[in-house]
Amino acid sequence: MPFRLFGPRAFHRVHDKTRRRFRPPAWLLSLIAIFAFWESISASGLIATDQLPPLHEVLLTLVQLAVTPFFISHVAQSLANVTTGVSLALVLVLPLALLVGMRSQLDQALTPIIMLVGALPDLAILTFLVTIIGRGNVAAVAISAFSAFFPIYFTIRQGVKEIPADYFHVASVFRAGRAQTFTKMILPSIFPNLMTGLRLSFEFSWNVLLAVEIIASVAGIGTFISTNLGSSTHSLTYGLAAIMTVGIITITMDRAFFERLENRTKRWH
Amino acid sequence: MHVELSNVTKVYEDPPETVTALKDISFNVNEGEFLCIVGPSGCGKSTLLRMIAGLDRPSSGEIRFRGDPLTAPHSKISMVFQTFALLPWRTVIQNVEFGLEIQGRPKMERIEVAMDLLDMVGLRGSENLYPKQLSGGMKQRVGIARALAIDPEVVLMDEAFSAIDEFTAEALRAEVSDIHKKSRKTFLLVTHNLPEAIELADRILVLSARPARVKSIVGIDLDRPRASTDSEFITIHKDIFSLLQAELENSLMRHRLGELQEFKKLRDMEDR
Ligand SMILES: Nc1ncnc2c1ncn2[C@@H]1O[C@H](COP(=O)(O)OP(=O)(O)OP(=O)(O)O)[C@@H](O)[C@H]1O
Ligand SMILES: [Mg+2]
Repeated sequence: MPFRLFGPRAFHRVHDKTRRRFRPPAWLLSLIAIFAFWESISASGLIATDQLPPLHEVLLTLVQLAVTPFFISHVAQSLANVTTGVSLALVLVLPLALLVGMRSQLDQALTPIIMLVGALPDLAILTFLVTIIGRGNVAAVAISAFSAFFPIYFTIRQGVKEIPADYFHVASVFRAGRAQTFTKMILPSIFPNLMTGLRLSFEFSWNVLLAVEIIASVAGIGTFISTNLGSSTHSLTYGLAAIMTVGIITITMDRAFFERLENRTKRWH
Repeated sequence: MHVELSNVTKVYEDPPETVTALKDISFNVNEGEFLCIVGPSGCGKSTLLRMIAGLDRPSSGEIRFRGDPLTAPHSKISMVFQTFALLPWRTVIQNVEFGLEIQGRPKMERIEVAMDLLDMVGLRGSENLYPKQLSGGMKQRVGIARALAIDPEVVLMDEAFSAIDEFTAEALRAEVSDIHKKSRKTFLLVTHNLPEAIELADRILVLSARPARVKSIVGIDLDRPRASTDSEFITIHKDIFSLLQAELENSLMRHRLGELQEFKKLRDMEDR
């Protein structure tokens, strides 16, 4: 075999090399750019540090906070409240959304009302709710459940409506009972919608919960943020670090949990 | 008599309209027979099959299976769908097992039955694929295997070959004919493809335009396998085709008359 400098083998070697070199994802580069911009602004003194603390201090505080029991308990409280709220909403909404999806008369009777309630200003209602129930965890859970209601309701209703009529025929012809029709046909059919609904409602009610915590000072990470924002440079750093923590939690939940579950359904769709 | 229909009428009440889909339909299906049902589009063929499947109830009249009134899906009556209707989250073998799973049969038995049937329809080796990975022809093979898995006495097929390319459909028809010959199960196939009906049927039930009545029942006494180029085949085709054409003209005529009346109404309104 003749020696070839630019033969296919040589090409492969070059190709492999480029593949092995580490390529940072594009978003990481943008993030580093933004951080550098932030850091240079506070270093230049363009904005006073009591209005914009240097980034490295915020990040340092974030790491410190992450091991502070007081802070952790606030985060855990908010997360527990939102999870309980979303679960509660799911248990309440699932049967209703299934019924409405299958019975168009019920749908016509109920959905406009639900849309109406959904169109009311959430934060105002929720703050009002706090004045009735009080500021405890019960209020926080009720608020999460309330905000989670609508995304779950509409995505599941849509999912049920989109089930092909022939799937119901298959279930009937092979004589599936009510329970079997639900577990073996309806539930898998709406699974992708269910995931989307849960994902949306988690994001939504997590945001609303923090807002209500701040507005109505219900205990949780929201109150931690609001009490620390504004008073002094030191505590502003704490507030910003807490805000970042919320962002990181949201993204992690989304990626680690919901996206994975959604990806599972891609095998068959 | 395996399946009997007497004076079956189906009226859809969809206020303010009422649509009479079927009117006084009576016919019998013999055990082991291959009966094809043809008729003009929209005349009520699917409705008829759905009622035999127990998915829908007649407005009046009665359907009997082995002499007993049929009012709900029966464990010995199975169905193949035009849309295949495979459950996309189940693999090929899980789809075939569906009916047996509902019946609560043990896993080993289900797999054995399903594998045998997949063998029969030429899908051995594809049992772990998902429906989206299959061609239309393969999907309907799964649909047929699923229908046979519960060991039915009657197999209902609604336009089972209509959503498949003609080349594959031809092969599938030959397979179904073979399955019928070997199993001696009763087959009811609704189709708008007349050569398909003549190729497969022992008898062809010709329905009239809506509201559908039994226009004629034609026995097909040709040797199998049947070639559409046979002179007898062509004669039968011509005969049934002219029956259907007369029906079509009737319904077109009625349709046109309706349009004409609409048109007159509009004109009168404009005159005023
Ligand atoms: N669920 C229903 N509600 C109201 N009307 C219906 C319903 N199902 C069918 N129909 C009407 O009954 C008539 C017969 O419908 P069907 O689907 O049985 O006809 P078909 O012969 O199978 O038609 P095609 O050849 O198009 O498949 C049609 O006019 C249809 O509009
Ligand atoms: Mg039809």
